[in-house]
Amino acid sequence: MEFKESEKLKDTTIPEVDFSTAREMQPYLKEPPQMYVGAPGKHGYLRLGFELDRWGKSILRDLDRRVPLIAQQELYFDQEMPEMPCLYILSSGGPNVDGDRYQQDITVRKDAFAWVSTGAATKLAEMRFNYSGMIQNIVLEENAYLEFMPEPVIPCRHTRFISDTRLNVHPTATVFYSEIYMGGRKYYRDGELFEFDILSVCSHGERPDGEQLFREKFVIDPNVVPIRQLGVMGKFDVFANVIVMTPKEHADRIYAATDAFIDREKKIAVGITHLPNDAGLLFKVLGMEPGPVKKLVREFCSKVRMEVKGKPVPKEFPWR
Amino acid sequence: MSTPTESTTNFAAISRLLQFTDSTFPVGTFSFSNGLETAGFENMVKDADTLREFVWSQSLQAAYSDGVAAIHAHRAFLAGDYDGIVEADRMLMLFKMNDEARLMLKRMGKKFAELAKRLFSNPLIDRWLEEIKAEKTPGSFPVAQGISYAAAGVNEADLFVAHQYGVVNMVLSAALRCVKVSHYDTQKILFDLSERVEGLYKEASQMELKDMNAFFPELDILASLHEKGAMRMFMN
Repeated sequence: MEFKESEKLKDTTIPEVDFSTAREMQPYLKEPPQMYVGAPGKHGYLRLGFELDRWGKSILRDLDRRVPLIAQQELYFDQEMPEMPCLYILSSGGPNVDGDRYQQDITVRKDAFAWVSTGAATKLAEMRFNYSGMIQNIVLEENAYLEFMPEPVIPCRHTRFISDTRLNVHPTATVFYSEIYMGGRKYYRDGELFEFDILSVCSHGERPDGEQLFREKFVIDPNVVPIRQLGVMGKFDVFANVIVMTPKEHADRIYAATDAFIDREKKIAVGITHLPNDAGLLFKVLGMEPGPVKKLVREFCSKVRMEVKGKPVPKEFPWR
Repeated sequence: MSTPTESTTNFAAISRLLQFTDSTFPVGTFSFSNGLETAGFENMVKDADTLREFVWSQSLQAAYSDGVAAIHAHRAFLAGDYDGIVEADRMLMLFKMNDEARLMLKRMGKKFAELAKRLFSNPLIDRWLEEIKAEKTPGSFPVAQGISYAAAGVNEADLFVAHQYGVVNMVLSAALRCVKVSHYDTQKILFDLSERVEGLYKEASQMELKDMNAFFPELDILASLHEKGAMRMFMN
């Protein structure tokens, strides 16, 4: 299905992003005096639509955006899959600041495929009055394929951040959706690990007919749950969460090919399990620094790509 | 001064609360290690202090997920709202990310529902069991607890206490067999953690089903290792 002209032009306003009913954000609803919530430049929007063109090439057909979000020109730099559009999301505003709202809608149409990342880590600034919120809608049609592998998120002291990600995925499609969270600016001054106020992250999967498959929500409030406690983060500083929605036969083979382990010497741990309702897999990594965690996430993505597309993920660029 | 006849004690309810949490009750108290074996093998849980931390994490994790579902099932039962019971069941299973935990909750839930059908003569419980058997609803253990305790006349706060007691005792029983701790250690942990249950209830009782949350990545990874590993004394 192609995007119709009328669809593109029918509405120039962007959806509201509001988490004021979220229980965990109730202490953080004051209007920032410096620049109000959702002011121009504080309400980013991005709509990306990938589809096959008439020659069967996967392209970025649909794009809409509002500052501070920017989508770079899609490039075809993946040496193992040169047919795949690769796109970086950037923010012209620097870090997410107090009262920022964002929405990112990514659609991959039937049989199309894409790789999406961010140009650099997403920094979440110190906040004093309000919070920064983000809604994501990721939609994959029949046999579509998306690797969403952004750089890590770095919260600061007193950061408040909430996100809601809806993954609407056809039973034949595959989405690799990863998030990496740092505990904070580890080497800034005396270190700022786990001094943020709250991170609330919800990701839920569903089928095109609306059938709900899973709902993962983590609320990290270091004032409520002792973050260094055994069972929470323990001695680890970096956490990665990867959701892979893929048909069951792919999921079973990827699961069998992936080890779960705790490496006490290298201080890194990996876990994998099946999502409810045969929706796919959930992969988690704990580590001390982002580099080794990113490497494991990438290696896992390579297993997924090999299973679904028969090709590996190439080696990471040395500057990333 | 109150006389014995003026007492507000609900004798039958307390007696049933004790019955449902007793180790002779088929789903009363049981051992499910929740990754404790792996934590012991990895030398992360090695003594009473580390066991206390591990159990406290399990307790918190259960309070804001299973505990919330149990409370909502209890409320729905008292309101005669069958759809509310099914919604608590469905939302909890959407939220359970670990394969073994889902299997355990479903097995225990079905077993409890079968027992409840014999203990109570109640159309809501009968219908729920039928739909579990027909695979129309998952039939999770916390929901079975919620509706059975409500049917037995146990109030919501007492249900929550029993649920927490079950979670903590389950891991401590397993600990006696896979960690170097004594009965004195496990009883002291159980005794001390009891003081924290009121705070957990105050929070959990305010939460909607959509508010259920958990951030215990280390527990998740331990459970995953247990799920994949060859070394196992408990489950499946």
